[in-house]
Amino acid sequence: MASNDSQVPAIMRQGKIAPWLYLLPALLVMTAFIVYPGLNTFLLSFRNNANTGWAGDNCVAGQTCWGIFENFHYALTSEIMLTAFLNNLKWIVFMVTGTVILGLLIAVLADRVKYEPIAKAIIFLPMAISFVGAGVIWKFMYNFGTGETQIGILNAVVVALGGKPVSWLTEPQINTFMLIIVGVWMWTGFCMTILAAAIKGVSTEILEAARVDGATEWMVFIRIMIPQILPTITVVMTTMVINVLKIFDIVYVMTGGNYGTEVIANRMYKEMYSSFNTGRAAAIAIVLILVIVPAMIFNIRRFREQESMR
Amino acid sequence: MKTQKIKNWLRGLSPHVILIIVCALWLLPTFGLLVTSFRPVQDINETGWWKILDAPKGEKEYNTYCAECHGKDGKLIAEADLSNPELVQKYRRSFTLIVLLKKEIDGKPHLGELEVPDENISANIATYMRRISGIESRPRFTLSNYIDALVGYRGNTTYKEDCAAGTQAVDLFCDTRDLGNARGMGRAFLNSLLVAIPSTILPILFAAFAAYAFSWMDFKGRQWLFALLVGLQVVPLQMTLIPISRLYAQLGLNGTFLGIWLFHTGFGLPYAIYLMRNFLGSLPREIFESAYLDGASSWTAFYQLAIPLSLPAIASLGIFQFLWIWNDLLVALVFLGGEHPVLTYQIGNMVTSLGSGWHLLTAAAFISMALPMIVFLSLQKFFVRGMLAGSVKG
Amino acid sequence: MNKKVWKMIAVMAILSMAIVACKPAATPTAAPVVQPTAAVVEPTKPMAGAIDCTGVTAGDEISMLYQWSGTEEAALNAILKPLVDACGIVIKPESTRDQALLDTKVQAGTPPDIAFWNVTQLIQYQDKLQPMDVLGANANNYASFFTDPGTINGKWLGLPVKADIKTIIWYSPVVFEAKGYTVPTTWDELDALVEKMVANGDVPWSMGMESGDATGWTGSDFIQDILLVQQGPKYVNDLMTGAVPYNDAGVVKAYETYGKWAMDPKYTVGGAQGTLSTGFLDAIYKVFSDPPEAMMVKQSGFAGGEVAKQYTDLVYGTDFDFFPVPGAQGLQGGADWMMAFNDTPAVRALVAYLSSELGGANWAKATFDLSPNKGANGNYVDPSLIKKGAALAETKGFTSDIGDTIPGGFGSAEWTAIVSYVNGGNLADALAAAAKVQAEALK
Repeated sequence: MASNDSQVPAIMRQGKIAPWLYLLPALLVMTAFIVYPGLNTFLLSFRNNANTGWAGDNCVAGQTCWGIFENFHYALTSEIMLTAFLNNLKWIVFMVTGTVILGLLIAVLADRVKYEPIAKAIIFLPMAISFVGAGVIWKFMYNFGTGETQIGILNAVVVALGGKPVSWLTEPQINTFMLIIVGVWMWTGFCMTILAAAIKGVSTEILEAARVDGATEWMVFIRIMIPQILPTITVVMTTMVINVLKIFDIVYVMTGGNYGTEVIANRMYKEMYSSFNTGRAAAIAIVLILVIVPAMIFNIRRFREQESMR
Repeated sequence: MKTQKIKNWLRGLSPHVILIIVCALWLLPTFGLLVTSFRPVQDINETGWWKILDAPKGEKEYNTYCAECHGKDGKLIAEADLSNPELVQKYRRSFTLIVLLKKEIDGKPHLGELEVPDENISANIATYMRRISGIESRPRFTLSNYIDALVGYRGNTTYKEDCAAGTQAVDLFCDTRDLGNARGMGRAFLNSLLVAIPSTILPILFAAFAAYAFSWMDFKGRQWLFALLVGLQVVPLQMTLIPISRLYAQLGLNGTFLGIWLFHTGFGLPYAIYLMRNFLGSLPREIFESAYLDGASSWTAFYQLAIPLSLPAIASLGIFQFLWIWNDLLVALVFLGGEHPVLTYQIGNMVTSLGSGWHLLTAAAFISMALPMIVFLSLQKFFVRGMLAGSVKG
Repeated sequence: MNKKVWKMIAVMAILSMAIVACKPAATPTAAPVVQPTAAVVEPTKPMAGAIDCTGVTAGDEISMLYQWSGTEEAALNAILKPLVDACGIVIKPESTRDQALLDTKVQAGTPPDIAFWNVTQLIQYQDKLQPMDVLGANANNYASFFTDPGTINGKWLGLPVKADIKTIIWYSPVVFEAKGYTVPTTWDELDALVEKMVANGDVPWSMGMESGDATGWTGSDFIQDILLVQQGPKYVNDLMTGAVPYNDAGVVKAYETYGKWAMDPKYTVGGAQGTLSTGFLDAIYKVFSDPPEAMMVKQSGFAGGEVAKQYTDLVYGTDFDFFPVPGAQGLQGGADWMMAFNDTPAVRALVAYLSSELGGANWAKATFDLSPNKGANGNYVDPSLIKKGAALAETKGFTSDIGDTIPGGFGSAEWTAIVSYVNGGNLADALAAAAKVQAEALK
């Protein structure tokens, strides 16, 4: 850890009460709406499915039983949850890198052209479409026609090129990636908007100075732009990791978690509301929260560094 | 010398090429939906949206096999007038048409030297015959999906057809008053606004306070509290519905706007504080130091320095918080319900439980998208270069 | 400029809060249901013949939650209108297909007065529901096979209001005629017909079962019908009680019968991938498109209405019709159940109305699928409903959906088994997984 409390700048010493006054409204609301339900979930994760006793009641005779941790037995070892973990990992790797890289690329390129507002609006557009609309859009993109005509454009292209139509959403090798494409399409606008705001904050003088010194555009980008907006990139990545961990709508609407596309949040929803297995759902939620701990630690380190540098 | 010029020209061009390709790819799905939203539902299921400008289905086949004798409009042979719906009614599908085509007329094959077409070709010819005889004459473009979505039409045909036939629902007037109809989008639009505006402003306001304390004030447990905050972002919304509903039942907040504002505020805060903290924390220390040297209180520093300087962050936060709430269905469903239907609720209910009526979603998506796009475009002016520098100097 | 923005935001915030403040929460203006005109209402007195409003005060509210929307909601409103007009009851409906809403409301202690949902919910909320006989439902108007599934642990908790028969096959009579096919009357005839179609180069079935997170239900319906043919209704009941495990040899046989058709492009449109990824509505259309992609689709009674919407020139009876699954012993059907969480005079009036002969007749006239209420007989106006109603009135046996009847997520486990089997998974493994859920649920 880079710094300790003795190094806190003088200006940050504002008395003991003032900071809490600033924090009060936020803390109150968050305690009521997130902390309290979070603790409730924590408790439920050790209860049986009807919340009438402890989780050990869920055990089936003759099978391994984790006692009070039985719900976690399911959340951590059942086959469907292992599939979900693997898929969430795929989502994190491909969707986070996809959205951040594309978002950055567009933000940087759009910064140099006259039609910047239009280009940005186009990338942002999918964010503005409600999910019911987006679901219809992609249903038609991926449509698999069994007859003469293809009404899905992707298969129309495949057929026009002489290929056989592909059932995009049911082929286990590709379907999760097809869903990730939808995710990237929807969320790149988010990354772009935040990153574009950061790029606008990079001082023109420094960039110009580097260019005068003969640096290529690529060098300017890598050596000057990236370090300057790195804090924002980290924020965007952290936010995206969290969003992707919670990814639900796309899977729920397009495949319902079938054909091996299950993800953690969809499983949780199903256990909760289709199967009424409240305890299991709560355990899955707790696992989801635990997965984020590394990101929390990473962020604290980063903020300490940021503060020690300014 | 010349190659250098071309290289430079290419270098200048490539950002445009990449950008335009990416934008085109991004636009394609939405564009498809836009075209689809202007098509009659039966067409949507039959041909791809990119075929919308093609010749009517079957015209080519009809011209090959039938036009010579029956004429382009089908009227050339009076006793076999293909524009007569009663005649075509009997042969309006491929399997009955093929039987007819195989029959001999006056001892000669019906089609002369031409071979009797296969099922697919006959089906196309039949489609075209249904068209010229008026049995099935759909317009290529229609505004029906938009009209039906706006008035919340529920029926088997379209609002316009029902009104023309006088079979509309009892509470419809068949004029502009129907826009205010309880099932329509007009009232729901207002409800969505009532939900979204306070639910956007409150969390940003609270987040600004908290983020200021996190970045420019020292207190015990600061890092620890902040880490918790990052973690809170991951608490799944689905798990909070039941405890909060129970709480609201005791407080009488179920089904009230206040209830949903507070819920969205609670859920928007962790991310809002996180983003604001990052932005405020990256401001140069000198600004605040000089302010305090001038004798400013923490409130003045917050109100006159931190807030104006973080407008770009506030703007982007505002856009997304507004969007998420605008497009949210689950929270509105649980905490507002059917009494104050929001847009997403109303749109979702245009589709029956079996999924028919989904074509209205195409139009509804564009109607509900209009406002967020306006918000995005109008907030763009906050993302201009030099804004930060300018304010610091001023 | 910054000040301006803040002012604008502040004004907007105050304005929006003011608009809300002006709207007292009690004003029921937003309730999207036709409301009674005050003049017609004469409270507390029974009115309009059969409608009993005892104890109801005009303006009494019933909160309702159901999955119906669009045309379905319009039909329900038409059915309830006589009651609303007679008693002055105000209906406060909420419509959603999201199961989260009902569960949240029940667990929060604020359930709606009335919910229309599945047997699954009857079982899940059995301790919180009001018995139908206490509320004054008329059991005489229902066949016992309709009240039995709604009777949980000896208490009659669910009133069946809307039913659909599933054991039927839709086809096109004109196509059958043109191609020389005849409607089969025994399972062997059906089997022979299927083979004949394949030999002629026609695809017999359209079996698409994609349905979002409920993908697989058309498959489980089909398999249950096969079970009714091969094993009979008692076997199906034993599956529901757990006496027969879901990986029993009889179930395996039914799956294999189904799989032979559902996974082969010669027998079904698009083969296994077509079955998995074709939406269940699209699967219906494929039999009635021109040229037809398939000859038959096994689908519940609602399919006819969907055909008429997509192909506006087709006529019921000549262009599309149905026949019962040949050889099936009894019918498989689904029902929507009305359950009451609160006992109020208005709820009693509603229960009495819907279970009365008038209620059944009005349901039939609204063309909102079948009504299990005997009062519906003879009151259907839609020709396909008349035929379905007759089939229902004649049937000796009636079984509900296995997946709906076993709690604890067995329904989705059953779908998962079908999907994974059709997608090339091992049948024994898939059925063992479902049997495990069945055992856990019924232990």
